[in-house]
Amino acid sequence: MQRDTLVSFEGVVKRFGSFVAVQKMDFEIRKGEFLAIMGSSGCGKTTTLRMLAGLEAPSEGVIRLSGKPINDLPTWSRDTPMVWQSLALFPFLNVRENVEFALKMRGIGKVERRRRAEQWLDRMQITEFADRNIAQLSGGQRQRVALARSLVVEPEILLLDEPLSALDAALKVRMQSVLKTLQRETGITFVYVTHSQSEAFSMADRVVIMSRGVIEQIGTPQEIYRAPRTRFVADFLGSSNLFSGRVRPGAAGGVELETPAGALKLGGDGVMPADGTTATVTVLDTKTHLSVTPPARSVNVVPVRVVGEEFVGATATVYLETPQGQEIRVQKGHDELADLPLGIGQDLFAWWEPKDGHLVAEA
Amino acid sequence: MRRPVSLYGLTFSLPLLIWQLLFFVFPLLFLVALSFWTVKNFVMSPDFDTVNWTTMYGRAVFWQAYGATFALAAGAAALTSILAFPCAYAIAFKLSDTARRWAVFLMVIPFFTSYLVRVYSWQIFLSDNGIINVMLGWIGLGPYPLLNTVGATMVGYLTLSFPLVVLLQLFSLVFIDRTLIEAAHNMRCGRVRTVFEVVIPSARVGLVIAALFAFILSFGDFVSPIYLGGGDPTTLSILITDTTKSGQQWPRAAVIALTMIGTLMVVAFAAVQFAYKGKTK
Ligand SMILES: Nc1ncnc2c1ncn2[C@@H]1O[C@H](COP(=O)(O)OP(=O)(O)OP(=O)(O)O)[C@@H](O)[C@H]1O
Ligand SMILES: [Mg+2]
Repeated sequence: MQRDTLVSFEGVVKRFGSFVAVQKMDFEIRKGEFLAIMGSSGCGKTTTLRMLAGLEAPSEGVIRLSGKPINDLPTWSRDTPMVWQSLALFPFLNVRENVEFALKMRGIGKVERRRRAEQWLDRMQITEFADRNIAQLSGGQRQRVALARSLVVEPEILLLDEPLSALDAALKVRMQSVLKTLQRETGITFVYVTHSQSEAFSMADRVVIMSRGVIEQIGTPQEIYRAPRTRFVADFLGSSNLFSGRVRPGAAGGVELETPAGALKLGGDGVMPADGTTATVTVLDTKTHLSVTPPARSVNVVPVRVVGEEFVGATATVYLETPQGQEIRVQKGHDELADLPLGIGQDLFAWWEPKDGHLVAEA
Repeated sequence: MRRPVSLYGLTFSLPLLIWQLLFFVFPLLFLVALSFWTVKNFVMSPDFDTVNWTTMYGRAVFWQAYGATFALAAGAAALTSILAFPCAYAIAFKLSDTARRWAVFLMVIPFFTSYLVRVYSWQIFLSDNGIINVMLGWIGLGPYPLLNTVGATMVGYLTLSFPLVVLLQLFSLVFIDRTLIEAAHNMRCGRVRTVFEVVIPSARVGLVIAALFAFILSFGDFVSPIYLGGGDPTTLSILITDTTKSGQQWPRAAVIALTMIGTLMVVAFAAVQFAYKGKTK
């Protein structure tokens, strides 16, 4: 265990009856980091967070907080405040009373309570609403109250379960920066559950990607984006082209992948797979290039046909198809695509550098 | 702003309107008129005389009965609410869905039997040589006078309103957002404290309405104070029967009845005000 580990999950399993919601989970949360847990619906994100908060007991394994096992600690004896998706603000208390609640539960005196609540109301810019009812606030204001209510005790860790999902797009982006700034300034460890790749990747220091109760990959957003470790992650992120095939020694040395689209040269990082096994390589759509004539080099060139094009802000995505019917995407700036004929049915060549191909673990 | 009464709206509200007129407004108006009639030689005659009001309100007996009835009903509302709450809480939060359905069903069963029958059966338990005193006798205690006491009246009131209060409380408890309870636990609020800090405030409207019903039922009840309480203290409902029996004094009884209705209206209004206090919606 590393010195800066705050939380560790050791072989944690969670079953509901015979249904396994979380399987053999092993990972660590570092002190002061912004960790995002991401995955499709029902993959066990909330369950993981609730086990950490003490709202759900693990069926197997140990969860440690600062080195101490906390499995048997009830939630009211842990300092793991959580922000719910529904926010769970108390409708029968006003804003100030909501923020003071956790302090009151700790037996902190009225004056001190008032002072500390005031400080957080001010910090979250909701002082002017202090005496309002929760029902009289907008979504964004409620969000701030929920954050103030959890942070007023100045915990070591804050758990957030899709706290922004109810907000509109513009407000979401604003709150993202509020959260990120808050996390950086306070140094509190944030564990942030979300569906949204853009939220996770823009805020988090490290991202955990889950699928069906299993952790598929943990890493910095750059690591995961550049080199998805499994086919699931690559598919989930949707920003890479995937090629599967049999491994064989390359004609010009090295290792090649024999795929329906042709022989592809492997390069870049990682341990090369053994001859004769099957492997999958991913190439980012931004690292996949197009040209009208085959490039001078003869490796990793695939003939393709244009099937569509889509503009998203400053970039465009070109959808192509190999003769075998595999879809390939290429994402580029508009000026890079300006010289290419991109009418539907146009024949082109797609190619990439061997170093931009990354092997994924074959599940 | 006035909206024109549409035929459509009228069609749907008409039955309610007729119902209200038939069973509430007309009898009430009659009661009001009756309270101004006079009685001479055991014969009532229509009149407009305030003598019934001044006589009744001038009597100490009336105010004693009023005070006793109010205190008993308030006590019954408080006692029933307090005893019913743990029951409703357990049904709402501790039982499985199936068990909860059975519990609701069991709470409805008491309504199948007549309240009078249930009160009579209490007499068998509470009388001097009743079941409870006999059992106490086995261990060398008693007999204690249990029947014809205020305690027995309270038992009767509980019999009357307990199942209804549990049901009303239950329906306000099951609709509490569970995440609020989890959130409280998450902020170091222990189990018992959460009941007072979160559960009761969340269910406040339902709890107050339940207590109000217990008050209303007990305030107007005649059976328990006479058959279990032995008519002591005299409650307003007992006073009404006494008044009608003594010389056909229906107009004076009407005065008592109207006073009771007025009291219940004020109490109900105050209770609803209190229940929704601080709520803006
Ligand atoms: N109390 C429970 N009883 C039975 N099954 C449960 C319970 N809670 C969760 N599950 C199941 O466990 C799985 C994981 O649930 P969880 O709430 O952790 O998903 P999630 O990743 O948070 O999904 P979402 O993104 O939709 O919130 C789901 O299949 C769910 O049906
Ligand atoms: Mg969830």
